[in-house]
Amino acid sequence: MRAFTWLEPGTTTDAVALLREHAPGARLIAGGQSLLLAMKDRTAGPTHLVSLAGVEGLAGVRTADDGSLVVGAATTYTALTRLDATALGGWHGVLGAVAGDLADRPVRNRGTVGGSLCTGDPRYDVPVLAAGVDATLRITGAGGDREVPATGFAQGPGLVALRPDEVLTALVLPPRPRWDAVAFEKFRHRVFDAAIVSVTCALRAGADGVAEARLTVGGATPAPTPVPGAAARLVGPLPDPDAVAAAADAAAEEVLPGGATAGEAVRYRHELVRTLVRRAVTRAAADLRRS
Amino acid sequence: MTEAPPRTAGPGPAATGPRLVGTSVPRKEDLALLTGTARFIDDIRLPGMVHATILRSTVAHARVRSIDTAPARAVPGVLDVLAGAELVGKVKPWGDLMQDLLVGDHFPFATDKVLYEGQELAAVVAGTRYQALDGCEAVAVDLEELPAVVDPEQALRPDAPLVQERIVYEFGEGNVFDRYRVRVGDFAAAERDAAVVVRQRFTTNKQAGAALDPHGCVASHDPFTGVLTLWSSTQSVYMVRDVLADVLQIPRTKVRVMVPEVGAGFGSKAQMFGHEVIAALFSMRLGRPVKLVLRRDEIFRAGTTRNSQVRYAELAMAADGEITGYRDYVVHNTGAMSVWGNQVVHIGTNVGMLPYPIPNVHVDSDIVHTTTAPGGPLRGFGIPQTVWAKEQLVDMAARELGLDPLAVRERNVVDPATFPYRTPMGQVIDSTSIKQCLTACAEAIDWAAKRAAPVPHEGLGLAVSMKYTSCRHPSLDTDLSAVRLRLETDGTVTIYSSDVSHGQSHATMLSQIVADGLGVGIEKVTLAPPDSMTAPFGLGTYASRGAAVLGTACRLATERLRDKVLAIAAHVLEVGPGDLDTGNDRVFVKGLPDSGIYLEILAATAAYRTHQLPPDFEPTLETVATYDTPTEREASDGSGNLSVTYSGAAHAAHVRVDPETGRVTVVDYAMVHDTGTVINPLVVEGQHQGGFLMGMGMALSEDYVYDENGHQLNASFKDYLAVTAPEVPELTRMSEIPAPSTTIPGGQKGAGESGTGPVPAAIGNAVLDATGIRFTALPITPQRMLTALREKERRGVETLRYPDDMPDFTGPRCPDEWPSPTAAEADDFDFDFDFDLDPEEGA
Ligand SMILES: Cc1cc2nc3c(=O)[nH]c(=O)nc-3n(C[C@H](O)[C@H](O)[C@H](O)COP(=O)(O)OP(=O)(O)OC[C@H]3O[C@@H](n4cnc5c(N)ncnc54)[C@H](O)[C@@H]3O)c2cc1C
Repeated sequence: MRAFTWLEPGTTTDAVALLREHAPGARLIAGGQSLLLAMKDRTAGPTHLVSLAGVEGLAGVRTADDGSLVVGAATTYTALTRLDATALGGWHGVLGAVAGDLADRPVRNRGTVGGSLCTGDPRYDVPVLAAGVDATLRITGAGGDREVPATGFAQGPGLVALRPDEVLTALVLPPRPRWDAVAFEKFRHRVFDAAIVSVTCALRAGADGVAEARLTVGGATPAPTPVPGAAARLVGPLPDPDAVAAAADAAAEEVLPGGATAGEAVRYRHELVRTLVRRAVTRAAADLRRS
Repeated sequence: MTEAPPRTAGPGPAATGPRLVGTSVPRKEDLALLTGTARFIDDIRLPGMVHATILRSTVAHARVRSIDTAPARAVPGVLDVLAGAELVGKVKPWGDLMQDLLVGDHFPFATDKVLYEGQELAAVVAGTRYQALDGCEAVAVDLEELPAVVDPEQALRPDAPLVQERIVYEFGEGNVFDRYRVRVGDFAAAERDAAVVVRQRFTTNKQAGAALDPHGCVASHDPFTGVLTLWSSTQSVYMVRDVLADVLQIPRTKVRVMVPEVGAGFGSKAQMFGHEVIAALFSMRLGRPVKLVLRRDEIFRAGTTRNSQVRYAELAMAADGEITGYRDYVVHNTGAMSVWGNQVVHIGTNVGMLPYPIPNVHVDSDIVHTTTAPGGPLRGFGIPQTVWAKEQLVDMAARELGLDPLAVRERNVVDPATFPYRTPMGQVIDSTSIKQCLTACAEAIDWAAKRAAPVPHEGLGLAVSMKYTSCRHPSLDTDLSAVRLRLETDGTVTIYSSDVSHGQSHATMLSQIVADGLGVGIEKVTLAPPDSMTAPFGLGTYASRGAAVLGTACRLATERLRDKVLAIAAHVLEVGPGDLDTGNDRVFVKGLPDSGIYLEILAATAAYRTHQLPPDFEPTLETVATYDTPTEREASDGSGNLSVTYSGAAHAAHVRVDPETGRVTVVDYAMVHDTGTVINPLVVEGQHQGGFLMGMGMALSEDYVYDENGHQLNASFKDYLAVTAPEVPELTRMSEIPAPSTTIPGGQKGAGESGTGPVPAAIGNAVLDATGIRFTALPITPQRMLTALREKERRGVETLRYPDDMPDFTGPRCPDEWPSPTAAEADDFDFDFDFDLDPEEGA
């Protein structure tokens, strides 16, 4: 670690001002669960840390008038796991489930949704869920406020579409009617390890089956990757196991073309995409059938 | 776990009262550990202490052009900087202090060449750790990178980059730094007469000790007395003291080594390291205490690792399942340098043949250098590697002959009519219950019933091993430990020992022995912290030697102390010492345990009322005892009884393989051990559980992952997949079938490592049973498993070897492509000549 100055703004406006004032060395810190590790081994060395802990209105979850779920960027995983079905109804509850099944307790107590999204680590879960349900991100900065789709926000390991003087304020999940079933699946070595591959499947019901499907793969590629071709195969009558398997094969080929004959590490991810897409679709389709 | 019955017969004092040996006395260590008051190396803070860090090479193999430390001196807070060149001629290289162990290949810093990533280049000491890190960043390093050699077989090729250039080896050349061979019996004849000979190339992984408590030290040189005090997180006080004094060329009396609480070592702290020299040098130069605690990535890259091996292994079996021969060519990767590395293949092979008394054993090994982290001891000391190959061959042969792997093992495990029994390899088995352990373990896992009703993707596997209890290492003609006991003037007892307890519960175990022997309450017995200024000379804590060797020394010292106490009491009570007994903190006339004289009074008599002592009685109530095991030196054919006694382990694994993700889950695991007389069942059970855990890591997840440039890709606990509690099955099927050692007076055998040996092989055999895939490489990761499963499906075959049958495998696939040992012919000639002269020799 290197010496730094600790700053505690009370508002996002102040946070943005501090980032500008102390550029280029200033960095935001939320829970510190990614940033502190990088600082400890000196791969990051900010001169100023702008803490989001005291910024008003940045932590917490509320349902907006249009039914969308606004998750403050500084909301911790643990806070999400404590919300009941009235706060996280229907498939919104998947966010709580994902937050409760990652890392370990100390990391969940401090780590935030915003930190997860802004680290740009392809193996983190929340970005794959956010992109998988077609969520939106709210950003504020010196240039004003903007909203961007979660898909495409991460651009590669450590890279996100955020300017140095911007703050992510919220992750906004679409209103519940947007989807009827959402399933998230991942594979990791040990319970607290980041996923090697993760998959989100979101389905909207139609008259006699699936009206819209969205499949997003994480871990296998530098940033969460939607696989629209494979997802399109799911539209129509509720997929039977063969159809699910075909979609899974298509998804693997779409994310990692030629992966089945590549080197072992890629081949393995290719296989995991197949497995996890199959599992996620099977689970989401079962939910759909029940509802 | 069954509790060992207390021993009634045998030598030693017979104290009255409840005996503590054999019972699960709660650990004396736990209060401090659980309340956070235990002090580890990083907790030590001395007045005026400053902080050092080491600049390490980020490349694996390079020529050093220049290392300029001047810019570091200008960094704020920096007090001193060191690099290699200035120490040449002032500091003695090490690695050769103990006989036969290498020429001095260790030096605090690389001077002319870097041999592995993480090797020390320079070091900085400053007011704070962060200033020291700043200083390291300022050092200007100019290296000319050389090609790395990561694969031990590549290192054998004539065109391989030469790792150690300056050292002339006695038994090797090029990257072969030593050779080892075993010639017992006649393998060629066994091969000729066998019903089946199974052959397979196996490889093993580099595994880390991964002790949570980092390597580190605090050095404090007193310029007035000239004494250098070193607190270090180490397994051996005297190995560090003697080597450090030699390296610094100062008298042993001027080096004092003390050891705080050590949060495990597993073999990874069983030698002196460069950081200990560096901290000492800085402290001597500055006259201030210097702390140097390594970071995790430094421990991974520059600590010692389990030696990886390539084994070309063959096993001959008769039609009835008798194992008649074993041949192996082992390419043993000991990293860029190693104090202990070559010993691992000796002992791991010799003892690794157990529990089978195989009549014909023929082993060659090339012990090679690569540009990877130094190899060294790690829980099991070469036995898990040998057993990984041998116990899978046993299953392969049994399958070929259509025999039950359990029956084959029951037929072969050592089960002599009389003890002691000498095996063809020379081991003297003084007692064993390995056969009963095997049967009990198969019952515990429900072997017969489960195999009769196989479940898809599930499988069972067996493996057996015997672990040596302490060892006369081929390069160290000694196997001793010592204890000094003092009866204090208030009737309490202090134990002094230099064998560091780092998880072995010495304070509890030794106190049980003293309490029983002296009749003193266990709460009155204390183990002093290890300190070379006060503790007698002993080798240290490794090789599963604590209970048996240190415990025996403690037992002898207790007997001597008891004799002295009885002599005073006999004089005071005017009876013969033979009429007296001890118990309840007292010495009393036999049959009258409620009367007698308190130890406190006797101790005070010796100190303060010397007129009441027997005539000519030496008042010191302090006794010392050293126990050196009656073990043998290794013979030139590789045979010999290197260990004082042998602990048996029979393991059975039940695994489930997820065919969609490749994950191998150990759903159940049975372990039955023979640890002889168990001093403390709670402690021994914990040792077996921990041993299993490390074996499971070796089997399924742990490895040093290097790129082709010798850069380790997983040098952090985030990426290095050490096993954690959630992956471990409920280890409820554990039991002991004690066959007390007849050599060790108390009957105990080593406990620390027997839980590790069979694990990779048991899991490997179970994986084959579940999937039809024979893994010949470790670890069996989900990635490897799933790619192997897909390849097997693609080919539509019943069985597949991974990686041998994979399309991209480039190594030799079948025995006629196997390489020969680099010095095979010369060795064979010598040996055959001797053998013809005296065919009985060594049998
Ligand atoms: C042991 C361990 C295991 C883990 N396992 C998992 C896992 O299984 N799955 C998983 O998904 N993750 C895992 N993680 C990662 C964890 O989820 C992230 O560390 C955490 O979410 C980061 O959040 P934070 O608040 O701590 O971010 P910080 O570390 O504070 O910040 C991370 C980055 O985001 C920036 N940042 C933070 N907040 C904002 C904001 N509001 N606006 C703009 N930029 C911002 C910071 O400047 C920094 O660059 C693991 C981490 C650890 C240490």
